[in-house]
Amino acid sequence: MNKAPKADRYELMEKIQVVDFALVELTLYLDTHPQDSQAIQQFNQLAVESRDLKNVYEQHFGPLRQYGASFSGYPWNWKDGPWPWQL
Amino acid sequence: MYTPVKCYQPYYSPFDPCPPRTPICYATPPNLYLGFQQPNLPQYSLKEALYKGTLWPSLYDPYPLEGGGYREQSTEG
Repeated sequence: MNKAPKADRYELMEKIQVVDFALVELTLYLDTHPQDSQAIQQFNQLAVESRDLKNVYEQHFGPLRQYGASFSGYPWNWKDGPWPWQL
Repeated sequence: MYTPVKCYQPYYSPFDPCPPRTPICYATPPNLYLGFQQPNLPQYSLKEALYKGTLWPSLYDPYPLEGGGYREQSTEG
């Protein structure tokens, strides 16, 4: 896991936040518009993009999520990274 | 024309011993007027959506009232 420069971390985290916010908006929208296929397609694209971005982030900066959402390094290192409010 | 804030001047009776009240303003976000959201509305770019707080320009509201105390911002008419 090569240590990417710090700037990458914040840019990458911002991209993740951008995609996740759009996913939240689309989720709320789709709750009331179940038949909107175009929005569903956009939702699925963003879900894939979000997963890929998180994988890239986790390769550089360690696990991002817990309970099986992120792979763990050795030793158990999900608590090593800075907490979200410390970023 | 849509305005995010609406104000009114409470009636001031000639027999009212107290000083007249300042105009009372309240926020009127776009979702009040939108009704059922139509599909395929135009969207912001994703990055802009994060900073604007919504994915759809038609739902964007800067909430111009300061501090939620329903005081009118000087810029608003």
